[in-house]
Formats: sequence, structure tokens, C-alpha cells
Amino acid sequence: MSLQQAKGIGKMVSSAISKQIPHFQCGTQSVEHSMTAQEQDLDLIRRMASGDENAMRELYAAYGQRLFAYALRLTNDPATAEDVTQETLVIAWRTAGKFRGEGRLIAWLLGIVHHTAIKALRYAPASQPLEVLEETAGGGNPSPEDQAQAEEMKRWVRQGLQDLSTEHRAVLELVFYQGLTLYEVAEVCKCPIGTVKSRLSYARQHLRGVLSRSREVWR
Amino acid sequence: MNHAEQIVLYAADQLDDAERLRFEKHIASCTECQADLKLWKMVAEEIVVSDSAETAPAQLAERALERTHRPAAPRLALQRVFQLLRSQAFLVQREMWPASAAVMALGVIVALISGHAEFIYFVAPLIAAASLSLLFGPEHDPAHELALSTPTSSWKLLLARLSIVSAYNLALTLAALAVLMLMFPPGLLGTLALGLLAPMAFLSALALLLSIWIGTSNAIAISYVLWLLQSIPYQALSTWIASPAWSAFLLAYRDFWHSPMLLLALSVPLLLLALWSADRPAFRLAL
Repeated sequence: MSLQQAKGIGKMVSSAISKQIPHFQCGTQSVEHSMTAQEQDLDLIRRMASGDENAMRELYAAYGQRLFAYALRLTNDPATAEDVTQETLVIAWRTAGKFRGEGRLIAWLLGIVHHTAIKALRYAPASQPLEVLEETAGGGNPSPEDQAQAEEMKRWVRQGLQDLSTEHRAVLELVFYQGLTLYEVAEVCKCPIGTVKSRLSYARQHLRGVLSRSREVWR
Repeated sequence: MNHAEQIVLYAADQLDDAERLRFEKHIASCTECQADLKLWKMVAEEIVVSDSAETAPAQLAERALERTHRPAAPRLALQRVFQLLRSQAFLVQREMWPASAAVMALGVIVALISGHAEFIYFVAPLIAAASLSLLFGPEHDPAHELALSTPTSSWKLLLARLSIVSAYNLALTLAALAVLMLMFPPGLLGTLALGLLAPMAFLSALALLLSIWIGTSNAIAISYVLWLLQSIPYQALSTWIASPAWSAFLLAYRDFWHSPMLLLALSVPLLLLALWSADRPAFRLAL
């Protein structure tokens, strides 16, 4: 993949996120716009603290999809993810007055999702890994020869991601989908920044291993 | 920031313009970073595509709002405590309520007639000890068997009853003191009230513990003897047994009942021991 191609994917990723997430802030966006979004968030949370139920609906419209997606990645179970998201909204409503606006609202909300999901997982039986990819790639069988190599690689990446532990997957989700900085990720996961970096490093090693195995299979 | 971190942030489109340009210069000549970037781009794409496909359930905000309308945990806990207290108030021996009030009324009348307000000081702990001795055990509780089979533990039931009856005893004592204010100076009654609380608490805790361990009648008998002993004039007791050790003991014993801090401090472990024993039949001795 050339540098231009890589940049193309980067743009696609950003635009996909921006379309999905109205409040998403990319690092390249202007400070002025970012301030406005931050102020909007503060206004939203203040209205929630004062008991404005419409503010809660607006919060869900703005961030619900991201919160649910993160809860789902952590729990791997739609019903539990729904409970976690609902619990997060209830906690956000009850503790809105405590949000000081020192960080981004999304990081605060994802922190609540993370804590609630980990608590839910502690009392729930271990969830089953997704089955589709187990069948296609897990057995080590090569895909049909006419399939594109790129598609095959994607499958292996997907499989590699699923093999990661919840903590490692969480870091990747927070960086790549939620657009959090490494410091924000550390805040959400309640761990030192060094741990976030070492989790990224482990994920890299693991995924590289998976991909090198995939190349062997492809040959 | 090292290259490994930069690649991740580059792939996540989180680098600012200057950092991005610097990194692009580096990556043009670094094959290892190019391989890593390719990997992270695939990861980013996969995560974004799969997460974007997830749809948040509709009406979740409405359901969460519905939940916020329900009472919060502390309020729920208070409601439960109130329910427990109310249910237990009906299970305390009914005769206890008028009997305690009648004895206290009698005490007030005697104090008013004799002109000795201290009489209340003598009577109040006795009422408290007797009423608390009647709190626990199959002979006093019509629903004892049923209570044992419910999920609420015995010590919680006992604590609920203890709180109700102690509050009642306190209210009776304060009412008696209020009546006595008609005849006695408030200063004297204030001193009396302060002096009363600690012996009342200690004797009640002791009576409760003894009633669980050795039964109600024994508990009442022992606590009454202990209380009456300190009320008998010191000189009268000294004349029966003329011994310096006995005199010293009597003095120390009276001092003990007049040390409010010590009495209150001892009441706490006695009470905790009583609550702890409530769930343990092995501690109940049949005397």
C-alpha cells in the first residue's frame, strides 16, 4: 500500500466517523469549531443537571450510537450492551452536576460505559466469540482462490481483533472509532498512559502475527 | 512521541498538520513503519466499519429517563428501613407499651408527691431494661418461627425492635421530665436527663444481651440487681460487711454508674454482641 492509498483510507475513516457522529472532533479540525462543540456539550450537561429531560434525549441522539457501539464491543452481547448504555445514561443524569468540563464529554461518558460494562462482565457468564469468523478463518482453511487477497486480509484482521482481550480491544476502539487521544483512553480505562501504550504494542504484535500467518496460508 | 505511537495516531487521523508532515517524511523511507501503518489502517477501517454498522436501540433515552423517575438507592433504602420498623413495631409484645407508660407515670406521681425528682433517675433505666428484655425469643414473638424463615436476618429484626423500643423509652423519659418541670427547676431536670441517658443505654444493652443468652427473666433479674445495688445508700451496705475492700468496691461501683462516657462506650460492644448473638442459637444457654 502506498502512502497515498494509506492517506485515502485515513480520509475515509474520518469521513465515516464524521457522518456517523455529529459531535466527533478530528485532530485537524479548527480550534474555534472544537470550542463550540465543547460549549454545546457543557450546555447539554448543565441542562441535564438542572433536570431538563430534553437534554438527555439530545445527549443520546448525539452520543448514543458511540456509547452503544463501545458497550457492545466490551460485552459482546447486544442485550448487555443495551443495559450498560441505559445505566450509563442514568448515571450521567444523576451525576451531571459533577461534570466540570475539564475533559471532553464523550471521554467522560465512555468512562462510565467502560466502568459499567466491566462491572456487568464481572457478574455475567463469559460470552461466546462471534461465530461467523470462526467458521471462515478460525479453522486455518484458505478461502476460495478467486477471493481477493485484500478481502482475505480483512477477515484475518477481524479475526485478530476478536482474539484480543477486552482491555486490548477497548484501547483500539477508543483510539480508532471514538477518536480519543491516548491520555483520554487512559482516563476512560482508569489506567496509566504507559499501560495504554503497552496494550497498543501488544495488539500490534498480535495482529502482525495473525497477518503473517494469513500470508503463509495464502501462499 | 516515538514512531510506534505516531503511526497509531496517524492512522487514527489524530496528528496535527506539522506532526503529520514530519511523519510522512519519515515513513517515505522506513519500510517497517510502512508495514505497521498498513496494519493500523486495516485495523482502523475494520473497527470503523463494524462499529458504524451498529445501531443504538431506539427509546433508550426514554427508558433511562423512566428509571431516573424511580427513587434513588438511598431513598429506597430509607423506605425499606421504614417498612421494617413499621412491621416490627406490631410484633413487639403489645403489653409492653402501656406497661412501660404506666410505670413511668407512677414514677412521675411518686416524684411529684415525694418532692424527689431523682426518683425518675431510678425508675427510667429499670423500665428500659425490662422492655428490652422482652424483645427477643419465641416466648415473646408470635411470629418468631416465621421471622426465622424469612430472608431478613435475626439481627436486623432485633435492631429494628431495639430502635423502636429505645425511642419509645426515651420519649417516655422526656415526657416524664417535661411533666416534672411543673414542680422542679429546669436546671435540675437537665442534669438528671444527662445523667440518665448513659445508665439507661448501658442497662438496656446489658439486658438485651442477657435476654438472648440466658432468657428474659434472668436478664431482668440480673440487670435490676445491678442497678438497685448502686441505688442502695452506701453507708447501709458498708455496715453489713465491715471490710475496707468491700467499701472500696462499693465506691468504685457507684462511680462506674456515674461515668457516662464509660457507660456509653461499654454499651456499644454489648449491643453489637447482642446483635451478633441473635443469629447464633449456640449462644443461648438454658439456665
